[in-house]
Amino acid sequence: MEQQRVPDRLEIPLTSLKEGETGIISSIKGAYGRGRAGRGFEKRLMDMGLTPGTEILVVKSAPFHGPVEILVRGSRLALGRGMAERIFVVRKENV
Amino acid sequence: MSKKKITIALAGNANVGKSVIFNHLTGLHQHIGNWPGKTVEKAEGTLHYKGYTIDVVDLPGIYSLSTYSLEELISRKYIAVERPDVVVNVIDASVLERNLFFTLQLMELETPMVIALNQMDIAKNKGIKIDVEKLERLLGVPVVPTIAIKGIGITQLLDKVIEVAEKGRKEFSQIKYGREIEERIAKIEEMVKGIQFYYPSRYAAIKLLEGDEEIEREIAKIDPQTVLLAKRLAKEIEEIHGHTCSTVITSERYEKAGCIAREVQKLVPPLEPSIEEKIHNLTTHEVLGYPIMILIMLSMFYTVFIFGGYISDLLNHVFYSLEPFLIDLLGTGAASSLLWSVMEGIIAGLTIALPYIAPFYVILYILEDSGYLSRAAFLMDSLMHKMGLHGKAFIPLMLGYGCNVPACLGCRIMETERERLLAVFVTTLVPCAARTVIILGLVGQFLGIQWALMLYIFNLIVIFLLGRFAFKTLPGEPTALIMEMSTYKVPHLKTVLKQTWFRLGEFIKIAFPLIIIGSLTIKFMEVLGLLELITMALSPITVGWLGLPAIAGVTLIFGVLRKELTLIMLSTMLETTNFAGVLTPTQMVVYTIVIMFYIPCISTIAALIKEIGWRKALLITIFEIAFAIVLGGIAMRILTLTLS
Repeated sequence: MEQQRVPDRLEIPLTSLKEGETGIISSIKGAYGRGRAGRGFEKRLMDMGLTPGTEILVVKSAPFHGPVEILVRGSRLALGRGMAERIFVVRKENV
Repeated sequence: MSKKKITIALAGNANVGKSVIFNHLTGLHQHIGNWPGKTVEKAEGTLHYKGYTIDVVDLPGIYSLSTYSLEELISRKYIAVERPDVVVNVIDASVLERNLFFTLQLMELETPMVIALNQMDIAKNKGIKIDVEKLERLLGVPVVPTIAIKGIGITQLLDKVIEVAEKGRKEFSQIKYGREIEERIAKIEEMVKGIQFYYPSRYAAIKLLEGDEEIEREIAKIDPQTVLLAKRLAKEIEEIHGHTCSTVITSERYEKAGCIAREVQKLVPPLEPSIEEKIHNLTTHEVLGYPIMILIMLSMFYTVFIFGGYISDLLNHVFYSLEPFLIDLLGTGAASSLLWSVMEGIIAGLTIALPYIAPFYVILYILEDSGYLSRAAFLMDSLMHKMGLHGKAFIPLMLGYGCNVPACLGCRIMETERERLLAVFVTTLVPCAARTVIILGLVGQFLGIQWALMLYIFNLIVIFLLGRFAFKTLPGEPTALIMEMSTYKVPHLKTVLKQTWFRLGEFIKIAFPLIIIGSLTIKFMEVLGLLELITMALSPITVGWLGLPAIAGVTLIFGVLRKELTLIMLSTMLETTNFAGVLTPTQMVVYTIVIMFYIPCISTIAALIKEIGWRKALLITIFEIAFAIVLGGIAMRILTLTLS
């Protein structure tokens, strides 16, 4: 299948979304490549409902590079900054 | 009708009101212990209802049934191996989608189930209306709506449980995955069917595709061919979808959960943010959040230590007014002096530890059940990260300044064993109230408050460095914070009090035998004149390396019982309270440093054993003794150089 790369389909880390913006998860970059640590990390995110294609609303970020508060599948989650940086999303343009 | 026995297990996510339901069901007939050989807590209870004796097991609050954590593994093994008659899946009606994700996994374990659709009130506040009958139909599992905190729906739940238990094991409904996955599940299932295994064959097949480590290991022992086949089939799915097979299956499961949730719930969001929402925004505010947190922590401190201190004084008063009477009763002589030392140990335990632990537990549970702890963790995460811990560890650490015992017990809020260990280790290094007595009473009093302050700062630096060191050396991956911040709710006071009551009982069972043995041993040594011998034996360390008076060795031994005893004993042995006359400033500082780090007191050791087991508790204790001695000696040499 052909995949068109338009600028607004750009994958950006979740942390690049501003407060109040929504993104759709496109991929998750493992913690340390393909190692076990990466898998555990990915599995944990999946189990919390952050599967590819899921909508994430960024509510706010804690100061001092703290965690990010997100709304996903109707529940409110806090995600450590390091974790949020490895979640890649496509920005959903606000109407 | 003769008495019939039923075993039920409560399973569900964290913060869904599982423990409230557990307490409603079992009342005071509870037992809290650990899972055999594990440090995960196990709560059990019994109730009698309509001629049935029902045993209830409260499984840990988890989000999935993979093998990500020990809790998940324990839960699914329990359901598969022990086969409870009914699994009661408690779900949060206000976060239906994620809770159903767990429900779908439970259904795959092919166990008789009843769903308690709990927190209907919170869902209603959020504007969520749920069609219970439709949910029941779509899942093929009976659903009972409950508001556990008000006791609503509990008898209906019990009736349903009995109904399901009577029906026994029959057909179990399950979800179907996409065709390309189902075909492959069928292939693997065909091979697994021949194997005697405690998991249902379809479940084992799905988990093999997901690359589940435990099941791969177990099946490989019996039939390695199947594992290889599963790996090959998983690869095929990966090629079709462009994601790992585990991701594909999890996504599909979530899709199904989402579909069901959307079909049964109607959402009419309230126009104004609710009061819970406003409190949430305030307590996680980037500026206001911090002063609010400090205020809450300070009032927690204040309550625990004012209340604890008051009760402690009161009990002390009662016991010591009984002292002459007790001495009369016990008489004098060798045997009675032994007995008396045991009494003193118990009194110390009763008056020092318990008065502080009880209010601590109550407040900790209130903060946890209400949902505040997760907000504090949110605010403190970035700071705690530097020590390889995440936000939640902040709470026990703070409490360590009061008493290490409740602080260690509080470390159970950490998710993984590794983090519990790290947090517990760091916590034992925090100077508790008893150590504060020495820091202020010796160094502060005779060298000035700036020296005491410097010791506190020095302590913080050491904690930070050791925490970082432990974090770097401990094997395992550091877990980043991923935490649900569930809607604020009013905690159920009865549940909080019961939890406190049973945890206290657990603590007494572990701590008091230790305290008794400890006091007896020291008394024996004293009677047999071993103390002088030990003083001599220790003198190369105390005198030679640390430059302290030889007598300090004995006080350090007694300090194991209660750290403030060291100072009291030092003054009795030196026959003065004016330490300036008998100790040099260097000796004071070195002595205080050693006491600050050298060993957790016996009650803390008991708490350590409860939380992390004998071996690790012993390891931490030995490490801290060695560390304190090394540090003290180095400090002595540096201080001698700079002060002379």
